[in-house]
Amino acid sequence: MAILEAEHIKAYYSTRRGYVKAVDGVDLVQEKDVITGLAGESGCGKTTMVNTLMMNVRPPLHLVDGTIVLDGNVISEMDRSTLKKKVWGVLVSLVPQSALNALMPTKRIIDYITDAVSYHMAVSNSEVASMARRRFEELNLPVEALSMYPHELSGGMKQRAVIAISTLLNPRLLIVDEPTSALDVSTQKQVLKMLVDLRKAEIIKSMMFVTHDIAILRQIANQITIMYAGKVVESGSATDILYDPRHPYSHGLMNAVVTPEPEVRKRGLISIPGEPPDLIDPPKGCRFHPRCSRATEICRSMEPPLVREGNRFLACHNPLPA
Amino acid sequence: MMPPIVKDLLKIKKLDVSVVIFSGIMLTGVFGSTVYPVDPVAMVGPPEQPPSNLFPLGTDSWGRDLLALLLSGIKSSLYIGLTAALIAAAIGIVIGVISGFKGGLTDSSLMLLTDIVLVLPSILLMILIAAYLRERNPLLVALMIGVTSWPWVARAVRSQMLSLRTREFVYMSRMAGLSDTRIIFLDLVPNMASYTFMAFVLLMSGAMIAEAGLSMIGLGVTRGTSLGMILYWAQLLESVRRGLWWWFIPPGVCLVALAASLLLLSTALDEYFSPRLKGG
Amino acid sequence: MNPLVRFLARRIGFLAITFIVFLIIIFALPRAIPGNPLATILARIFQQSQSSPELVKAVEKKLMEEFGLGKPLHVQFLEFVSRLVVGDLGTSIAFYPRKVAEIVFVYLPWSLGLLIPATLVSWVVGNLLGALAAYRRKTAADNVLLPVFLTLSQTPYYWLAMLLLYGLAVTLRIFPIGGAYTPAIAPALTMHFIIDVLYHYILPFLSIVLGAMGNWAIGMRAMVIYELGADYVSYSDSLGLPDSKILRYVFRNSMLPQITGLAINLGTMLGGSLITELVFSYPGTGYLIFRALTTLDYPLIQGAFILLISTLLVANFIVDLVYAYLDPRIRTSYVGE
Repeated sequence: MAILEAEHIKAYYSTRRGYVKAVDGVDLVQEKDVITGLAGESGCGKTTMVNTLMMNVRPPLHLVDGTIVLDGNVISEMDRSTLKKKVWGVLVSLVPQSALNALMPTKRIIDYITDAVSYHMAVSNSEVASMARRRFEELNLPVEALSMYPHELSGGMKQRAVIAISTLLNPRLLIVDEPTSALDVSTQKQVLKMLVDLRKAEIIKSMMFVTHDIAILRQIANQITIMYAGKVVESGSATDILYDPRHPYSHGLMNAVVTPEPEVRKRGLISIPGEPPDLIDPPKGCRFHPRCSRATEICRSMEPPLVREGNRFLACHNPLPA
Repeated sequence: MMPPIVKDLLKIKKLDVSVVIFSGIMLTGVFGSTVYPVDPVAMVGPPEQPPSNLFPLGTDSWGRDLLALLLSGIKSSLYIGLTAALIAAAIGIVIGVISGFKGGLTDSSLMLLTDIVLVLPSILLMILIAAYLRERNPLLVALMIGVTSWPWVARAVRSQMLSLRTREFVYMSRMAGLSDTRIIFLDLVPNMASYTFMAFVLLMSGAMIAEAGLSMIGLGVTRGTSLGMILYWAQLLESVRRGLWWWFIPPGVCLVALAASLLLLSTALDEYFSPRLKGG
Repeated sequence: MNPLVRFLARRIGFLAITFIVFLIIIFALPRAIPGNPLATILARIFQQSQSSPELVKAVEKKLMEEFGLGKPLHVQFLEFVSRLVVGDLGTSIAFYPRKVAEIVFVYLPWSLGLLIPATLVSWVVGNLLGALAAYRRKTAADNVLLPVFLTLSQTPYYWLAMLLLYGLAVTLRIFPIGGAYTPAIAPALTMHFIIDVLYHYILPFLSIVLGAMGNWAIGMRAMVIYELGADYVSYSDSLGLPDSKILRYVFRNSMLPQITGLAINLGTMLGGSLITELVFSYPGTGYLIFRALTTLDYPLIQGAFILLISTLLVANFIVDLVYAYLDPRIRTSYVGE
């Protein structure tokens, strides 16, 4: 059973030079109780994708086409106030990319939490306080942080606090955008551990996170979806994608990282030549073909459809052999 | 043909409007006396006449042609504004650069000086100085204004310096062994060029208003005229209460138009040179 | 030490230094300018001689004593400061033998009565309108308001005063043409008098409010536009917080720099309002200084200035207090610049 089903999603930015097709015809399904990693180069549309998935769409971004069903609700047809009241924070929460500045700087954490929670639930301040305390304890966060101001906390603390706050209303799906960029390695570990703890404690059962860092995918993802230039190119279980990628781009991504694992090291480091395409006027046919060493005639003229191949989805005319 | 930056700037509507208004008035002032060669200080007609075909802006209590006075006043105000702005810009930039670049005790003491001058109202300081001076020529007035209006520039330039000096290209210059002065002039100053221009425009706008204020209280130029001096005489001779609107309205309109167009120009430049990171 | 206390101590220290620097300037100026100012004053008095030779002699003697010319500089300065401490600002020349302090205190309340409410009202209204313009950016409201604010911010209060006086008092005769109250009425705490004062108060008040409002509006508008793009705004939005709540956050945070701006602008507003008094013949310190300048009554000018600057520095400190109270970042971890 899927918690989120998105069909034919097209989300474009309107700019003076034309439409930037950040997400251009994507079908995506997030199953329950699964952690999905959404990966790809910077600028491939991942952040736009996840914002669109929860219908956080404001001009100049427009949802040009598509349907999104979240936990049985067709959220793509809801207006902003319904989304705010019924969906955001309650059904789905998004932890933004730069969580460091996401907290209201002139309010104590607990006061901010009270504002957020009491809008959705009719609870007293003391009930909110105990909720918050409990959640912080569950996630190994210092309870003292609650009565502090954001500037009194370290970067890692802030990041983890924001994640914790996003889970307070027990959303069915948690989306985390780049959980570890702008953090040092030890803090990254703490954040990842927290995400895992959230699953273990069954506070959050279904999670999607966006990253361009393959190492994180390796550590916590169950499923991986690879995006390129506004389209999904490959999607499957983490083991499949990490160790047996079939799309040339996925292959390139997985092998661009230095790892100590011997099987990977044998294959050597590969970097993908070229640059991501201009999303206002993307290449004809397969968008990856200009950079692909396996490109053939058909790749240049016809866009490959996303088809099921065993346990994975693949959009490629000339994939790597299994 | 035209450098690309000029082409881009011309596309901004705010900029076009402000430049048109400002140059319009400026050119009127500069060339006005050639087109309308009436002596501003001569008594050429009956006193306190409303505008007519003979005197497009009427006459004042001494029978002087107010249009001629206005043209002369625009020129004078522009001159004082420009000079004062140059002086203030020079002081502010020098202090800001040294303070931001050197840091430490130099920085703290210069910033203390800056804050003191910032807190003390410039108009009051100017009144104090001017009160003891018997003769005040335009240059002296410009000097007084310049010497009291530089603090905000110094602070802004200092912040720019502080952020620029930690950038990579400065480290590279240091590694290459360039002396401090060369680093300042080759690396840092060119990066502040756009801000400097904006600051100058704002300074000029403020200086013209300051000159008018000083004149209003009787401490403007002792010889000659300026927009502020016309208003001073208008006020002293009770032109408002006696309904002589042609005396005090045109100089004020010119002053506001000049200052506002400069402000608009600086806003347009600001938007162009520092695009917002979000929204916009 | 409590960071808040540290912050306030620093501010008091700075304001005290500023005051001392100002005293030094005021002390040094008449003594530094070439051309003996004292002689000029005396020449003036001789010229306007409705005064008897004895009076002139007395004034000269008093001046010599108070300015202490002839004694070594540091002695002069010490005498100057010690007199200041007991509140002796010297003796006026034009109003001899009245003491400066006494004269200024008659005029000062009228200035403060005008300046303080006008500052507060222009600040509040200006910020509200600026926030409105920012929220309604790119709509008709903003497109009309912005040029208006721009122009207003560059319009001197005293010229606005002339316009208002001409339009509403001379032409339309709705308001009186000057003064703080009708001369025929004797000042007393009666309703009649108070209404008369208010009636005379409106135009000067409006001139300052309208003149100062534009500056605040522009600043607030820029701040709010900037804040609206901040991360906490988009995060709060995505958590489902209502727009009204988020707007309140934005206003709260945008206000802080505006309070700092208030401290910086107090001096300019003071200067502007002093000049505005001239247009209305409003009996405040500006009017007093203007007259003192024409009679070259240096002790009076000096004394008025000292009082004005003291008031200004105190006001600055009050604004600092308010800011420290509102910004938790100061209260919990002020490190200094």
